[in-house]
Amino acid sequence: MQMPQPDADVIARRAEIIKAMQGIISGEGVIADTDELRAYDHDGLMAYKGLPLVVVLPETTEQVSDILKYCHDNNVKIVPRGAGTGLSGGALPLADAITLGLGKFKKILEIDFDNRTVITQPGVTNLALTQAVEHEGFYYAPDPSSQIACSIGGNVAENAGGVHCLKYGLTTNNVLGIEMVLMSGEVVRFGGKHLDSGGYDLLGVANGSEGLLGVITEVTVRILRKPETARALLVGFPSNESAGDCVAAIISAGIIPGGMEMMDKPAIHATEDFVHAGYPLDVQALLIVELDGPEAEVEHLIERVDGIANQTGATYLKISQSDAEREVFWSGRKNAFPAVGRISPDYLCMDGTIPRHRLADVLKRVEELSQKYNLRVANVFHAGDGNLHPLILFDANQPGELENAENFGADILRYCVEVGGVLTGEHGVGIEKRDLMGEMFTEDDMNHQQRLKCAFDPAGLLNPGKVYPTLHRCAELGRMYVHHGKLPFPDIPRF
Amino acid sequence: MTTKAAHINDDLIEALRGIVGDRLSLAEAVREQHGRDESYHDAFPPDVVVYPETTDEVSDIVKLCAARDVPVIPYGTGTSLEGHVAALKGGVCIDLMRLDRIISVNPEDMDVTVEAGVTRKKLNEDLRDTGLFFPIDPGADASIGGMTATRASGTNAVRYGTMRENVLAMTVVMADGRIIRTSRRARKSSAGYDLTRLFVGSEGTLGVITEITLRLYGIPEAVSSAVCSFPDLEAAIETVISTIHAGVPVARIELLDDVQMDAINKYSKMDFPVLPTLFFEFHGSKNGVVEQVETVEALATDVGASDFQWAVKQEDRNRLWQARHDSLYACMALKPGSKGMATDVCVPISRLAECILETRKDIEETGLLAPIVGHVGDGNFHVILLIDTEDKDDLEICKAFNERLVMRALAMDGTCTGEHGIGYGKMDFLVAEHGEAVSVMRAVKMALDPQNIMNPGKIVRV
Repeated sequence: MQMPQPDADVIARRAEIIKAMQGIISGEGVIADTDELRAYDHDGLMAYKGLPLVVVLPETTEQVSDILKYCHDNNVKIVPRGAGTGLSGGALPLADAITLGLGKFKKILEIDFDNRTVITQPGVTNLALTQAVEHEGFYYAPDPSSQIACSIGGNVAENAGGVHCLKYGLTTNNVLGIEMVLMSGEVVRFGGKHLDSGGYDLLGVANGSEGLLGVITEVTVRILRKPETARALLVGFPSNESAGDCVAAIISAGIIPGGMEMMDKPAIHATEDFVHAGYPLDVQALLIVELDGPEAEVEHLIERVDGIANQTGATYLKISQSDAEREVFWSGRKNAFPAVGRISPDYLCMDGTIPRHRLADVLKRVEELSQKYNLRVANVFHAGDGNLHPLILFDANQPGELENAENFGADILRYCVEVGGVLTGEHGVGIEKRDLMGEMFTEDDMNHQQRLKCAFDPAGLLNPGKVYPTLHRCAELGRMYVHHGKLPFPDIPRF
Repeated sequence: MTTKAAHINDDLIEALRGIVGDRLSLAEAVREQHGRDESYHDAFPPDVVVYPETTDEVSDIVKLCAARDVPVIPYGTGTSLEGHVAALKGGVCIDLMRLDRIISVNPEDMDVTVEAGVTRKKLNEDLRDTGLFFPIDPGADASIGGMTATRASGTNAVRYGTMRENVLAMTVVMADGRIIRTSRRARKSSAGYDLTRLFVGSEGTLGVITEITLRLYGIPEAVSSAVCSFPDLEAAIETVISTIHAGVPVARIELLDDVQMDAINKYSKMDFPVLPTLFFEFHGSKNGVVEQVETVEALATDVGASDFQWAVKQEDRNRLWQARHDSLYACMALKPGSKGMATDVCVPISRLAECILETRKDIEETGLLAPIVGHVGDGNFHVILLIDTEDKDDLEICKAFNERLVMRALAMDGTCTGEHGIGYGKMDFLVAEHGEAVSVMRAVKMALDPQNIMNPGKIVRV
C-alpha cells in the first residue's frame, strides 16, 4: 500500500506544531509521547499501522475550528478519527499529519421526541443513541455490528449500514443535519430538524466523505418508534442458489423485511461452534428473515415468507416464538466476525454490493476464486440489499499470504463491479479499496468527484492518500478553463 | 461576477444544426414557451431551443456552449414553480423530452433506468405488467429528469421519501461536456463522494442529467383511503402528529383547510363539509391496512373528528385524490383570471400547528383569499396565493406575505422550501436559511461549473 511521501518539512516542525496545539487545548488533550501514540496507530483495518505526528483530542467546536485554521495556515495535514473501528483504514495515521480524535465529544445535546430527533456530539456511540431513547420506545435504526463501540460521527463519515438498512436505510437516510468545521476553520451547518431543504444537498455530500471534506462536530439524527412486534424466521437451504432465489422471491412479493441476512456453510459452522445459536449444520445456506410492524401485519407476513421459503426449496425452517428466541437467532449472525476470527489467525472482510439477482452467480465466482488462491472464505451478508461480506481467511505470518488474500479480495470486488455493483456498500473506501476505484469509476467520474474536494479543501490537507488513488491538484484542474486568456473568476482568490 | 450575455450568432446556430440537424427552433412562440414554467415568475426566453435524442448529442451541445461561454438551460416538462427554466441571460435551451427511452427494467432488483424525458405516468404505465411502481407523485406529469433536478416530492413522501431517497445513480453531462456516471445499480454504496445526492436537486446548475436509475416498489396488496373533517385546524394537526408518533406507516396524509374544501366542492362538484379536513391513504397487506385505518380513526375521533369516511373502492379513491390533485386549479377558479403562487415552507412537525395557525391569522389580517394545503406528515404545507398578475400591488402584497411566512418558518427551525426548490425565486431566502453554508454551495458550483454556464442565476449567485 503506497501512501503519500511524508513531508519532511512538517515533521521538522513537530515541536512547534505541538506547542501550537497545546496553546489551543490545555492539559491532556495533546498526545505526543510515542508510547501513548501507539494507541492510535491503526483503526479496524489492522493490516496497516503507522504513528501519527501528534494526536489532539479537542472538546469543543471552537477548538476544532482553531486547530483546522492553524493547520490551514501552516500547511499541516489532518486525519480525523472517531472510535477507530472503521474497516477500510480511513483513520490510518500519517507520519506528517495530526490525528484529530473526536472521542471527547460524547454528550447527547437534545432529545426531541415530538419531532423524533436527537442532536448529539459525534463521539457518542451508535448504541448509546438507542439506549438514550429506548425508555420512550424509540431507537436509532442503522446498526453496524460494531455499534457498541463505533461513534455516530464515524458512522456519518463512512455512511455506515447494518442489518436493518434494508428497510430503514443507511446512515445517510437517517441523518437530518450536521455541523461541520471546514479546513479553513469556518463552521457550517448542513440540514436541520426539518425534512428537506433548498439548495445543494451538502448534507448528502458530507455523508460518506470519509473525513476528506471537513470535521463533523455535531449530528442530528432521526429516531424511530420501535415496531410493535418483531419476529424472525431461520431458514436453511440445500444450496446457495436456492437461498438466493428465496431472497429474490420475498422481495419481489413486495415484502421488505426489517432484516434479511444470509450465511454460507463455513460461516454457519464457525458461528455455531462459537455461540451455539442452534443453527442447523446440515444445510448449505442459512437465512435469517426478520419481519417487524403491527402484530396482524407480522403474522400475515410470516405466513407468506414461510410459503415462499417452502416453494424455493427450504429444508429447515424455524419461527421465533419469543423475543428471546429471536435474539438467539441473531446472536450467531451478529458474532459471525469474531467467530471466524477463532478459526483463522487473520481474515479480510470484503464489502462489495451487487444487484440482488446476481447473488448466486457472484457466490459461485467467489468459490472458484477461493480455489484459485487456495484460501478459505466464509460468506455472511446483508442479502436483502445485495451487500456481501466475504471473509477471506489467511495467516499473516505466512510470507505472501496477506498479499495473496488482498489479490483475492480485489478480484471479488472487480467481479462485483462487473455485474453492476459497487466496491463498498457500507465500510467505505479508505485505503483498502482506494486502488480499485478505477474499476468502478472512469477518470472523468473521479475528476469530477475531486472537483468537489477542491470546493472544500483546495490544499488537500484533510485525510490525504485516502479514497482516491491519485492526489490531485486543484489549481491544475482550473487551468483548463482559462478561455480567451481571461481567468473565469478574476475576483476569486486562486489556490 | 455576473454572467456574460450569450454569444449567440449564426455561427453557433450552424454548429448546433451540425449536431441536431433540424431538431432546433428559433421560433418566438417556442422560445417563449421554454422560458416559462407554471409559476407567476416572469418568462425569460432562451435564444434557441434544441431537441437532442442522445446523451452524446447533449454532450456535444454542452461542449459547443462551453467553448463559447453560452448559457445552457435544461428543460423537461416546464412544470417547475420557481422559475427554474427561465433563461435569465439567454442561451441554449436543451429540451430533453426526446430522450424518452426506458433503458432497462430489472424487476428482480426492483430498479429501472430511464432517460431524462420519460414522464412519471409513462414510466408507471410501462411498469404495469411487472407488479412494480414508481411512487413519487408531485401532481404534475413531470419528467423524471426534471423531478430529479428539482428533488421533487409529493403527497406520498411520508411513506416513500422524495427523489433524494429514490435515485440510485445517474448519467450527467458536466459543464465541460464530459459524461459521468455517479454510481451503479447497487442498493447501497459508500464509494467516493455521493455525487448522486449532489445532483438530485441541483436544478440544472451543475450539469445536464440525461439518465436516471430509480428504485421501484411493489404495488401494495391493499390500498385504502379515508377522509375526515375536524372542528378546527388544531385537532386536524394533532391527529397528524399522533398518527406519525403511533408509527402508522401512512402512505399519504394531506391537510386541506376550510377555504380549500370550499374551493374543491365548487370545482370538483363534491359535497364535503366546509371544515379542516385530512385525506389519508394506506398501503399494505389486507389485514395491515384495516389495522392502520382503525388506529387512525380512533386517534381522529379522540380529538373530536366527525364522519370518518373510508374508501376502499378504486373509483372512490380516484375521485378523492383527483379532487386533491386539482386543488390548485380549484383555487384559481375561486378568483378567475388569477395565477397561483404556492408557498412551500416546511417546519419540524412539533411546530406545524403553531406555524399554520399564525399563517392563517396573517392571511386574515392581510385580507387575502388563500387556501392552505399540505403534506403535513412531513411538516410541509402550501398557501395558495391567488395573484392578479396585472395588479402590481397585489403581487407586492403577496410577496411580502410569503417573506413573512418564510421568516416565520426559519425561526421555527424550518426551511423556505420543502419541495419546490430555489430557482431564481428564492435565492435570498437560501442565504437567510443557510448562512455560511451558501458560500460552500457557491464554491461547489464554481468547482464543477467554473464558467457559470449551467442554468446561471439559479440557486446561488456567483
